[in-house]
Amino acid sequence: MSRILAITILLILAFFFFSAVKLDYGHMHSALSEYYITHGVAETGALNMVTAIYLNYRVYDTLGEATVFFASALGVFMLLRKGGEGESDA
Amino acid sequence: MHRISPIVKIFTRKLFPFILLYGCYLISHGHLTPGGGFQGGVIFGSAIILLGLVEGVKLTENRFKEDFLSLTKNIGMLIFILLGFVGMFLGYSFLSDFLPRGEVGTVPSAGFILFLNLTIGFMVGTGIAVIFYRTVRHEP
Amino acid sequence: MINGISIGIVIVLVGIYGILTRRNIIKMVMSLYIMNSGVILLFVSIGYIVGGQAAIFENSKKLMVDPLPQAVMLTTLVIGLGITALALALAIKIYDEYKTLNTRKLLEK
Repeated sequence: MSRILAITILLILAFFFFSAVKLDYGHMHSALSEYYITHGVAETGALNMVTAIYLNYRVYDTLGEATVFFASALGVFMLLRKGGEGESDA
Repeated sequence: MHRISPIVKIFTRKLFPFILLYGCYLISHGHLTPGGGFQGGVIFGSAIILLGLVEGVKLTENRFKEDFLSLTKNIGMLIFILLGFVGMFLGYSFLSDFLPRGEVGTVPSAGFILFLNLTIGFMVGTGIAVIFYRTVRHEP
Repeated sequence: MINGISIGIVIVLVGIYGILTRRNIIKMVMSLYIMNSGVILLFVSIGYIVGGQAAIFENSKKLMVDPLPQAVMLTTLVIGLGITALALALAIKIYDEYKTLNTRKLLEK
């Protein structure tokens, strides 16, 4: 794909991206974040709010993410073997 | 083939336990300061990668064997799931927080966030080291 | 103006340019990882409050930034690492089998 065509596509995409994000930075964006900040320390006992969110309120997502990391490490372990090409047992 | 200068070798050998200590500090104080399981685990793995780049992979593998690191990674994942089932046996839901809270600001104060951080730290650290070993010692 | 959102969008566009114009497989995988970093920066800087401090409790109570996008993006970072590691391992196996990393020559084989 030539460079002029790529730059044209990029300019169109840049116009769409930049016109879609307009925010005000004044107040908190959702009521859920306010609940996490006001009740976080009393319910979890952790001072770090981000750790309290991803290890206590949403620990199921962390389980899924640990599974994805484990699967990718296992995949690299199984793909790159030395010696014979033992990829599939058939 | 360029040789590594002796200053880099000596400094890396002397600094290696302190990097491991810094990684363990980040893992265990994950709920009080910025850090946590993933960040400390990456530093743990990076220390082993640094030693492997400076010393040579054969000497590093004699010290930190690949089978032991792979076993630690697998057992770490199992312990994560077993920690979820302990909460279920006590009557709460899966992966619920069943330990009592301590006083705010000390290390053993946040329920089972500490155990989860340790498990995740070990799993990520040894996983990155295993990926490094497999990529470097690959022959077509 | 220059804030985190504009820089994040620029990094995503650089990654898209890399995927469109490069023909080496490893450069395409690295462009994917650049796009990953751009999206993470964009989402973290959406949750910024003017005049707020970091999301860790100290003795003084002031305004805090939004901790929810940061917690979600931590998970995204580690998944991006896993994807890139597996993609690079697959690129190594492709080089072992076909002895080239050019996508034009790989399409002919």
